[in-house]
Amino acid sequence: MVVSATTDGGQRKIRRNGSFGYVVPALLLIAFFFIIPVLMLLMRSVLEPTPGLQNYRELLGSTTYLRVFMNTFTVAGLVTVVAVVIGFPVAWLLAIMPDKWSRLVMAIIILSMWTNLLARTYAWMVLLQRTGVVNKMLINLGIIDKPLALVNNLVGVTIGMTYIMLPFVILPLIGILKSIDPAVLRAAALCGANKRQCFTRVLLPLSLPGIASGALMVFVMSLGYYVTPALLGGTSNMMLAELVAQFVQSLVNWGMGGAAALVLLVVTLVLYAVQLKFLNPNRAR
Amino acid sequence: MTQPFLSIKGIRKTYGQVIAVKNVTLDVAQGEFMTFLGPSGSGKSTTLYILAGFQDPTDGDILLNGQSLLSTPSHKRNIGMVFQRYTLFPHLTVGENVAFPLRIRRVGQAEIAERVSKALKLVRLEGFEDRKPALMSGGQQQRVALARALVYNPPVLLMDEPLSALDKKLREEIQFEIRRIHQETGVTILYVTHDQEEALRLSDRIAVFSQGEIDQIGTGQELYANPATHFVAGFIGDSNFINAEVLSSADGKAKLALPGGTVIDGVPMHAGKTGGKSASLLLRPERLSLSSHQVANGLAVTINDITFLGNNIEVSTRTGNGESLSVRLPFGHEAIASISRGDQAWLSFEPKSTHAFA
Repeated sequence: MVVSATTDGGQRKIRRNGSFGYVVPALLLIAFFFIIPVLMLLMRSVLEPTPGLQNYRELLGSTTYLRVFMNTFTVAGLVTVVAVVIGFPVAWLLAIMPDKWSRLVMAIIILSMWTNLLARTYAWMVLLQRTGVVNKMLINLGIIDKPLALVNNLVGVTIGMTYIMLPFVILPLIGILKSIDPAVLRAAALCGANKRQCFTRVLLPLSLPGIASGALMVFVMSLGYYVTPALLGGTSNMMLAELVAQFVQSLVNWGMGGAAALVLLVVTLVLYAVQLKFLNPNRAR
Repeated sequence: MTQPFLSIKGIRKTYGQVIAVKNVTLDVAQGEFMTFLGPSGSGKSTTLYILAGFQDPTDGDILLNGQSLLSTPSHKRNIGMVFQRYTLFPHLTVGENVAFPLRIRRVGQAEIAERVSKALKLVRLEGFEDRKPALMSGGQQQRVALARALVYNPPVLLMDEPLSALDKKLREEIQFEIRRIHQETGVTILYVTHDQEEALRLSDRIAVFSQGEIDQIGTGQELYANPATHFVAGFIGDSNFINAEVLSSADGKAKLALPGGTVIDGVPMHAGKTGGKSASLLLRPERLSLSSHQVANGLAVTINDITFLGNNIEVSTRTGNGESLSVRLPFGHEAIASISRGDQAWLSFEPKSTHAFA
């Protein structure tokens, strides 16, 4: 829900009198399924096993849990950076391609999003394992002697998640890049800017709002991602969502699970607020 | 012969089967204001884009001071350009926009500040340095674009219909500004427009483009008084054309029979591609005189309508075989008092002042 609000930007106000009644079911739905559960989780995190902040103290004070936080932020950060670096040129290509071709490529990208997440993650497991296609190819090309460890560590998680997150960078960026008039880049060229300067001084600053909203979306989704880290990361490289799952499923410790989930939520909300303040796409344009 | 400042030699540009520019050859003197005038699709913008380096010609060459420009990429041509659309960088302020070409050229900070304020003064936008382009009117944005294109003292300034997005009053205001800036800076300007009035107002010389070629190059007066082709005659100024039969022609003069039997002699004749027996006769509305009684060698017409336009009066008439001719008479012309709609009248003109196109 945070994610969809990012692209939406402004708030819509209901002004017409009498129409308020129609939104009551929606409000009740949101209250019952989103607000109340979050509040209950918050309650449990400060009430179980005994009232107080000891869950948070333990979570933020122990090196084991801090490593989980580090893992989570490192992977989310890396995935975000790599997805933007790969996604930007793809989005640019799609923005300047003839419509006929860009629609085809978009369809391929969206089709990949519709493919089952588990299937895609398992596919990466097969590709990245010691005897997998990637290692075999690198060995045959003479780039490496011994197979690289690409799964059951954070490298595998980063690769797998970057692949899954790429469309979330590409899709919002296309819109922004398409709105940039090519004549502006021509003007920059005649002003003396070479290709690199056109990119760093004009194209990049103009697409910053799009990059920011895509990056935020990817970062936030990555922070709470479960399936891919669980399958590609192995047991020793836990991320936050896995920790929450472990607390709740294996240890049946709702207090710690709730505390971990809320830390994640707070981080997300803070990032969202930062983006709204400094990089609101509606204001920058 | 001295070497021309800017020389466009046999430029041709095709996209597959489509010919955008057929053959354009043109010399421009230093400090000249040269306008490319023509309808859309006549190749004038493509020629300008080739000069800017956005497109490579299929054939031909462009020489600036005797050096070919074609192998130089856009960003090294040191040419200024103002575009049809607003191309200010929206993330930069007006001052930063004008400073942009100087920053790229690594000019010192103090000099940048000085030259930016000088350029903004030139376009009469002093004090707008910190404004963002989005908060300015279209006319102001184009003036900033002009300052940005001139701040690095380019030898040539290209302008691609820079005023077409503005309303008429603003357009005239900025045309005046462009003239003043041209006089103050002495920069060579190549200006593209489809608006003949704009071309006449601004230019030293006009190149009239039609179907990928230049039909005629000359001052506005030359083009108006001596159009080389039917197209130029129709494009510059108001014009009437009537069909005539060529009786004989020699030394560029022709003897023509007009519908209704009137024969005129000594009409300047421009032989076209057809060179046939029939010709199109150009009659400028202000060169026709109107009389309510029959005159020798006059053309009999019926008055269709009389429109009062302030300083002059437009009379629309129709010949016997249905061709319409408009006549412009000065305010207070004696003939007006004695004619009214539906009347018979006679038009007369000096054969030397007309042109026939075969």
